[in-house]
Amino acid sequence: MKIPIEFVVNGEPQALFVKPNHTLLDVLRDDLGLLGAKKGCGEGKCGTCTVIMDGKPVNSCLILAPRADGSDIITVEGLADGEPHPMQKAFVEQGAVQCGFCTPGMIMTACALLDEKSDPSEEEIRLALSGNLCRCTGYAKIVEAVQVCAQRIQQDKGA
Amino acid sequence: MRIKPFEYHAASDLREAVQMLSEEGADARALAGGTDLVLAMKHKAVLPKKVVSLHRITEMAAINTEGDEIKIGALATHSELAAHLELQKVVPILCQAVSLIGSWQIRNSATIGGNLAHASPAADSAAPLLALDATLVTTSPSGDENIPLASFFSGPGATILHPGQIIKEIIILRPQGRSSGRYLKLMRKRAVDLSQAGVAFQAELDPAGEKLAKVAIGLGGMAPTPIRAPEAEGMLEGLSCAEALKKIPSVARAVVAATSPIDDIRASAAYRKLVAEAFFKQAAQEVLTSLTAG
Repeated sequence: MKIPIEFVVNGEPQALFVKPNHTLLDVLRDDLGLLGAKKGCGEGKCGTCTVIMDGKPVNSCLILAPRADGSDIITVEGLADGEPHPMQKAFVEQGAVQCGFCTPGMIMTACALLDEKSDPSEEEIRLALSGNLCRCTGYAKIVEAVQVCAQRIQQDKGA
Repeated sequence: MRIKPFEYHAASDLREAVQMLSEEGADARALAGGTDLVLAMKHKAVLPKKVVSLHRITEMAAINTEGDEIKIGALATHSELAAHLELQKVVPILCQAVSLIGSWQIRNSATIGGNLAHASPAADSAAPLLALDATLVTTSPSGDENIPLASFFSGPGATILHPGQIIKEIIILRPQGRSSGRYLKLMRKRAVDLSQAGVAFQAELDPAGEKLAKVAIGLGGMAPTPIRAPEAEGMLEGLSCAEALKKIPSVARAVVAATSPIDDIRASAAYRKLVAEAFFKQAAQEVLTSLTAG
């Protein structure tokens, strides 16, 4: 039996009927066509399904679809505002993207980190991103991208 | 990894939740953060006919540190506990332990009640809560019942809860004297890893601040359930910190004697014992030194 849910995705209210045995990730990808969040391990280990739920990064593969009722979700599609989000730009410029499969999750976690702490140390960045696996980059460029983005946001605020 | 179909209901209050769970019996499961249950359902390790979500019962997520009884709602997430300023002051050992669970994403969903109810022998919240003499307030259609955490676990993945009975909140008595605690966890990597062994050491001084009034040692991943090491604790109680520091090596052997770990894919029993001994020494050293420094 499908369950009615109402929630907000990337600023747009959505009303859907979902199967309880689907996850939030299934709903985003299959029902809403938002293919940014990826299905990697499906077990909450790789982090590529990370979305922001009510202000916090979560593994959307472990959240049952009906639990999204009433929530506010941001996916990687919701970041760009006419032009790419500063975090997306920084990832591109620093070469923090190789195969790209982990990138949407990395960017969502990184954005959530900067929302919580505008000037994180390298250690704090690595700790925050430790639930996001990347098999290509070796992480160095990803950490640099987050640092660059943080600096830019700080400078823009100061300007 | 499809999840088998089931019936879902989001309970609007506690009474409705336990009523529904008890009607369905063993075929129903309570859903808290879901990071264990949804995974188990994906693996077909658990195949509930009905899932009752508790997330609308918002009072179950409250953390109240005002009185002598610190009350932690079962639905408080690990992130909320780790970041709670008053808990960091009063029971830092708990904040340390839950901040090591899973990843940031997992800690934002996973709850303390779920961590206990899942009853992993290595659950990171269990060893420190045992060391803090935590009591669980459970609720069922027949009313509330207080269960000391020490008698809650009945085996790996098993508790004494019956169908229709859920954890409502966790009570910790505020330490009366000056206290300190440390939790050390052995992991293969720094995140998203279950504990191979976890050692919690909590000590409290008498009102005069001279002798150890209470010493508690909680161990995770070292027996079929999380355990305490009462004989080792007894060797330290009543001593001054200076005396206790000298006894650490012999007490460490008593700690290991209390354990019965297994060989599994994460570590061998022999290695777990070595680690428990070393971690106990380190944790006790740090805690007793900090209490001495005052």
